Amino acid sequence: MIRPLAGMARIGLRFQLAYRSDVIMSVLALVAQVFLLRMVWTSLYGGQGQTRGLSLEALLAYLSLANLQAFATSPIIPRITHFRIRTGTVFFDLSRPTGYLPQMAAFQAGHTAGGLLMLAPAVPVVLLVGTITPTAHPVGYAATLALGYVISLMMSLLICVIGFWTLETGAISLLYRLVSHFFAGTMVPLSFFPGALGVLADALPFKYMGYVPAAVYVGHISGGEIGRAVAVEVAWIAALAVLLWAVWRRAHRRVVIQGG
Amino acid sequence: MAEVLRTLRLYGRLQRAAARGALQYRLNLLIGVVTGVVYQGSGFAFVWVVMHTFPSMGGWSLREVAFLYGLRLTAHALYVLPFSSLIGLEWLVREGELDRVLLRPLNPLVQIMAKRLGVGQVGDLLAGVVLLVIAVPPLNPGMILFCLAAVVGGALVEAAVSLALASLSLRALNTLALRAFADDLFSKFGSYPMGVFGGAARWALTFVLPVAFVAYVPASVLLDRTGELIVPAPVACGSPLLGVALFALAYRVWRRQLRHYQSTGS
Repeated sequence: MIRPLAGMARIGLRFQLAYRSDVIMSVLALVAQVFLLRMVWTSLYGGQGQTRGLSLEALLAYLSLANLQAFATSPIIPRITHFRIRTGTVFFDLSRPTGYLPQMAAFQAGHTAGGLLMLAPAVPVVLLVGTITPTAHPVGYAATLALGYVISLMMSLLICVIGFWTLETGAISLLYRLVSHFFAGTMVPLSFFPGALGVLADALPFKYMGYVPAAVYVGHISGGEIGRAVAVEVAWIAALAVLLWAVWRRAHRRVVIQGG
Repeated sequence: MAEVLRTLRLYGRLQRAAARGALQYRLNLLIGVVTGVVYQGSGFAFVWVVMHTFPSMGGWSLREVAFLYGLRLTAHALYVLPFSSLIGLEWLVREGELDRVLLRPLNPLVQIMAKRLGVGQVGDLLAGVVLLVIAVPPLNPGMILFCLAAVVGGALVEAAVSLALASLSLRALNTLALRAFADDLFSKFGSYPMGVFGGAARWALTFVLPVAFVAYVPASVLLDRTGELIVPAPVACGSPLLGVALFALAYRVWRRQLRHYQSTGS
């Protein structure tokens, strides 16, 4: 069980490292993004002390972290599944003795590890541009981030499975990426979302991929709130696991192998 | 002159064929347009959300920033719609497809542009025009003309940078990632009042990569904010001409590089 999954993870890692020039450009785009956000927010604050409970320094650190996290954990498997369903090669994945979803999860984990490797040289730059200092809640940060990553992974798997019905997930995964980034709070912390938008963002699970861990890191979420966040994350994971299991049972009976 | 007219006529015909091709996949087209609107909409949603808390960005009101945003998006769409097939240039070079293009009696760039119609980018155009119409300040007829010229000029600035970089691909350099990065810089930094960027960044975004001239400079003219520009007001009023000049220059670079094109021979 473990060996084949480790193999999948290795392929995911290699896949990430194979497209180095693309990754370098996207790391540059990430640095540009953090730089832009820093400029815009610094100008917006314009010497004000705290706004919505966040000082400018904490906010800049938050934004850099949230963008680093989003970059390193960006989902790849919807694209892989999309391609393999379209070309019919998904047949080989399904015929392996290891389950399809564990395979994809391992691939994504490997890909994320590769992303972290590629990101390593950029981290000092981003930390410098984003002025990040060590956190007071290392355990809370690690816990919320790790659970948030599991939630993100399960949502990606859900998108993959939808592909078995629609046979076409290109647009869905792009929409998912846009919506999840926005509601994860990679450009604006959720505490700035007004009215109904704020309520919606708070109810959706996307915040655990960006806002919650980054806000824990900078101390915007602290004390008992961290424990509550962890509990809700665990509940989300349980709910998504049930949903994924139910959807998968139906999906794999619907498999259409194209071509031949 | 007859040559130009003939080229235009053929371009029109080829584009009609490309559009017919794209219309074969209606659902795909619809999803592409919707995605474009959502994509650009989520970018503007950032501005809208933060300006809920902070009433001014670099001294500009939400409405003024929305106008700037709309101007840039419209200019961007006007550039992408005809130039989207340049994305495939590396492929044309690598596969030797460009040889076929060069053999036909029609301007090679026009042929490449006519290969595909960027229908997916209709969403960008839609989002841009909607923002422009909602946020447009009261304009007199002269200013409306300037606004139209500014949109075309802005599109030409982006097109010039893209074409100049793409020309290098004719010498077998892969510039796709670099072009994507330049596009990304235009999209990211072009939609904000330049006052929010520090001195060096602002200078670079004006004189090194002319991002400011796509929308910020002309928008400042239309919003009567030329006082805050780092270029003199007369230059700002002539900014649409810069697009024409840059594009003419980029086209010369393209012609030069085309002369050095060596087929892959496959």
